[in-house]
Amino acid sequence: MTPQRLDSVPVPAVGEVTQAGELAARAVAVRKVYGTGETSVVALDDLTLDLPRGQFTAIMGPSGSGKSTLMHCLAGLDTLTSGQVFIGETDLATLSDRERTVLRRDRLGFVFQSFNLLPTLTAEENITLPADLAGAAPDPEWFATVVDKLDLRSRLRHRPSELSGGQQQRVAVGRALIRRPAVVFADEPTGALDSHASSELLRFLRSVVDELLQTVVMVTHDPGAAAHADRVVFLVDGRIVLELSEPTREHILDVMGRLGEE
Amino acid sequence: MLKVSLRNLFVNKLRLFLTVAAVTVGVAFVSGTFVLSDTMGKAFDQLYAGLTSGQDVIVRAKAPYEIDVTTGGTQRPLDESIVARVAGVPGVVVAQGDVAGYALVLDKAGKPIQPGGAPTIGGTASGDDRLAGDFSYRSGHKPSGPQEMALDAATAKKAGFGLGDHVDVVYQGGRRTFTLVGTIGFGKTDSILGATFAGFDLPTAQVITGKEGKVDNVAVKGEAGIGAAELRDRIAAVLPDGVEVLTAEQVASEGSASVRDAMGIFTKVLLVFAGVSLLVGSFVIWNTFNVLVAQRRREVALLRAVGASRHQVLGGVLAEAALIGLASGVIGLFAGVGLAAGIRSLMKLVGAEIPTTTPALETRTVVAALAVGLGVTMVAAIAPAWSATRVSPMEALRDAATSSSVIGRLRSTAGWVLVGAGALGLVACAWVGNVPWWTTFATLAAFAGLVTAGPLLAGGTARLADHGRRGSGWRMAARNIARNARRSAATALALTIGLTVVVAVAVTAASMRSSITAAVNDGNRSDLILQPAGMGVGMPASVAAAMRERSDLGAVVAFRESGARVNGRNAFVTGMDTAGLSDVIDLGIESGGLEGLDHGSILVSDKKAEDLGVGVGDTLTVTYPETGAVRMRVAGTFSKGFLINATYVMGMADYAPNVTSKLDAAVMLSNAPRVDPAQTKAAVKKALAAYPNVKVSDPAELTKDARHSVDQMLGLVTALLLLAVIVAILGIVNTLVLSVVERTRELGLLRAVGATRRQVRTVVRRESVLMSMLGAVTGLALGTGAGVALSRALADEGISRVTVPVTTLLVYLVVAAGVGVLAAIGPARRASRVDVLQAITTE
Repeated sequence: MTPQRLDSVPVPAVGEVTQAGELAARAVAVRKVYGTGETSVVALDDLTLDLPRGQFTAIMGPSGSGKSTLMHCLAGLDTLTSGQVFIGETDLATLSDRERTVLRRDRLGFVFQSFNLLPTLTAEENITLPADLAGAAPDPEWFATVVDKLDLRSRLRHRPSELSGGQQQRVAVGRALIRRPAVVFADEPTGALDSHASSELLRFLRSVVDELLQTVVMVTHDPGAAAHADRVVFLVDGRIVLELSEPTREHILDVMGRLGEE
Repeated sequence: MLKVSLRNLFVNKLRLFLTVAAVTVGVAFVSGTFVLSDTMGKAFDQLYAGLTSGQDVIVRAKAPYEIDVTTGGTQRPLDESIVARVAGVPGVVVAQGDVAGYALVLDKAGKPIQPGGAPTIGGTASGDDRLAGDFSYRSGHKPSGPQEMALDAATAKKAGFGLGDHVDVVYQGGRRTFTLVGTIGFGKTDSILGATFAGFDLPTAQVITGKEGKVDNVAVKGEAGIGAAELRDRIAAVLPDGVEVLTAEQVASEGSASVRDAMGIFTKVLLVFAGVSLLVGSFVIWNTFNVLVAQRRREVALLRAVGASRHQVLGGVLAEAALIGLASGVIGLFAGVGLAAGIRSLMKLVGAEIPTTTPALETRTVVAALAVGLGVTMVAAIAPAWSATRVSPMEALRDAATSSSVIGRLRSTAGWVLVGAGALGLVACAWVGNVPWWTTFATLAAFAGLVTAGPLLAGGTARLADHGRRGSGWRMAARNIARNARRSAATALALTIGLTVVVAVAVTAASMRSSITAAVNDGNRSDLILQPAGMGVGMPASVAAAMRERSDLGAVVAFRESGARVNGRNAFVTGMDTAGLSDVIDLGIESGGLEGLDHGSILVSDKKAEDLGVGVGDTLTVTYPETGAVRMRVAGTFSKGFLINATYVMGMADYAPNVTSKLDAAVMLSNAPRVDPAQTKAAVKKALAAYPNVKVSDPAELTKDARHSVDQMLGLVTALLLLAVIVAILGIVNTLVLSVVERTRELGLLRAVGATRRQVRTVVRRESVLMSMLGAVTGLALGTGAGVALSRALADEGISRVTVPVTTLLVYLVVAAGVGVLAAIGPARRASRVDVLQAITTE
């Protein structure tokens, strides 16, 4: 297969320093409506959100609040009814399906709740998958940094079925990071883990932001998980109702309690 | 459980279609074969009954043994005085002598009218109307006198002859021009199954067929009120020895029975091809059900957990198989009727008109189609159904286990042992030669080994492909092949079956071609060979006579051939001019010699001599259909009869008195000393301008023609086998679709992390190519081995050389890869259209 690279999608040069304060991604007045007429459901309602570089953002909200939809729209997996989403300076709406695919490969990282890895590939091959798909060799230094950071060095030759749930999620984080993405999206990454593996993974995500200067957006319903973030955005009925900076678990629980009462 | 089975069937319509199609092709082949042969059989019955419907009894020479289409040969003509003797029997209203034989009609351009293999008949057409039966005049009147003739209406129409036109006819005595005075119909049709018929009055017909003063048979009509049997007995009383009388009904049923016998061979050959298709189809079914059962393990476990018994699970899967089998049977049955109709119209195109429009759909055909469809599907589904019953209810509660691809040590050992034994067997068969059955057996053993060790082979293929640049689809494709090694192997092996047979046939054909070249180069000493053009049966004796007059030719040797029995076995005997024989052909005398081939002696091929246990000086009994038994002394044995297709050779002086037909099958010529070969050839061609049915070839052209006819045969057989290969391709598509459906989430994930649609398609395509290459390589290897052994097994049939057509095999390999790409188109598209969001959010 020929390496696929599109000029319209700028790929950050290896070693480019991400500076806090710039925006890694942003959503402007996004609206997402499912269905038409009387049966239509508004999932995102005129929502605007900035995601600064180098920040760990958690998105919380009750079931059906639109948090997963928001993440899918930010990641270019789902299309908007109206509004705009930018990854860096790129407006997703201007991209074709293929360009969005390449953008996901080169500039975004994903960690899902479960079934993150291809069972036929080893841990190493799973991590380097986006680079392989791009037809590019992963930067060996960065690969080593990521693998060491995630403590996966001894597991690289294993297949997913030979790894624990926590290890599998770390491999997924590794894969998300391999292309030095603009943003890593994590959808309930600890949802299928026990509490020990869960807090371990969150510590890894935290250090990815702090030490590797990456940008992470995490959808979660677990206040303990959200407490690891730099800020928490609360969604209700497709709108942002509250933001917390430097949140603590108690603080989040308190907000959740109040939102639940309304 | 039936409801569950039914619902399962319709969940995936494409899969259902592919599964049904896999068996349908084979069933259609079976039912088509039956319908075609029944229809043709019925046609012949009607024809024979129609043509004899005006007659009560028929008098003819008694043959020393039963003659039919397969044995060849004809009955001895009777002296025409027999007609008067029969007419004098009380109760006989009319008795009439008839003759028939070879007569080739030329069209207006002087080209022979020789419709695809059907005979060109000349005979009496001026008989009494009371005996005519279905034989009737469409226009004009009966021919009378040496200048007039009638033609079957179909030929007249096709060639554009009208009444009063001049028509040229080549007969065994030469060529003559007649005036067309009538056209003939046979019941509803205008021809006798596509044969051309030139009709004359009796004296003219006798001249044309070389039976002056003779008749082939006497047709008799009796007075009303006298039964045919009674009439027969009265006539029998006045007949001399060696003449028999039969009721018309007996003759008609004898005739159609003999045609049916001949068609039985044709039917058997077609059924063998159908069998290959069915074997491939059963592989596809087996594989499909294995995959289905694996995919449904959780569902089955759940059913077991809520109280379904093993029995019910087994019944459920088998019910699903039965429905598929039944559907294939019914669809295949109708497709077969269509197929037969298609072949019939094809035959009509080449001139063989079948005089009935309703296809004969007999109960046997319906039963066979349904039984084959149902049987093949059920048998193929038994093992998967059994494994479904082994699913523990606990599996419903666990995560879906990935199906294990590893096979036990015992199985792998058994597999390799079988492969090795089969391969060694083939080598041994090739070494020994002449053991067709052992060759088949060794091939089957090797194939059984491949099936047993298949998953290992698939794993090995995957390891081979698991290289190359990362992100190229090969790696991922290889891993998927390895993950489902059993499934991949079964898919590939379906293709292996088809290709094995195709390749074995190709190798045999190539060997045949090189053997022909060798035979011509080795055995031929002639400069020119005259043969009947097209599908003609022979050349008038006047052709050889004309050649003997020429000064630019040396030896002129004519060959004739007739069916006969030698020591009680059906055989063909060759009569030839012994003078100049060694100037035109080297028979490869092994013992005795041509010098000994005088009156009353015979040459025998060394292999037949060995079979019969005779040597020089021993005696053989040759029984001719016309004249009966003659004892002949063995003058020698020969090894190079292949060129003239001869096993028993005698001088013309011994042959001619026993065979009425004066048609030469071939005439071999050698040039006179110091003539220009090209000039001689041109001169001979010019001298034969009056005989457009004679083809003049030099040895190079002879080789080319023979090789061409082998190629044609190869093309036909390959086309029939292609159906089996198509079934195998359906199998690949099926497996790919099943695994794409199974991997929806994986494919969604791949797309989410940045694989383009094209990359996803590439992975699926490469999986397909890997499977088809595995099938192709094993098929080529096995087929080459089987083909070589088969060629050696047919040494007695004249295959003296073994040639492996490397280029052809390489083409097959490339085509197989192409087929892999083609098979992947649909499944790959499906894979690339996986809804990413849905795939990754489905829990």
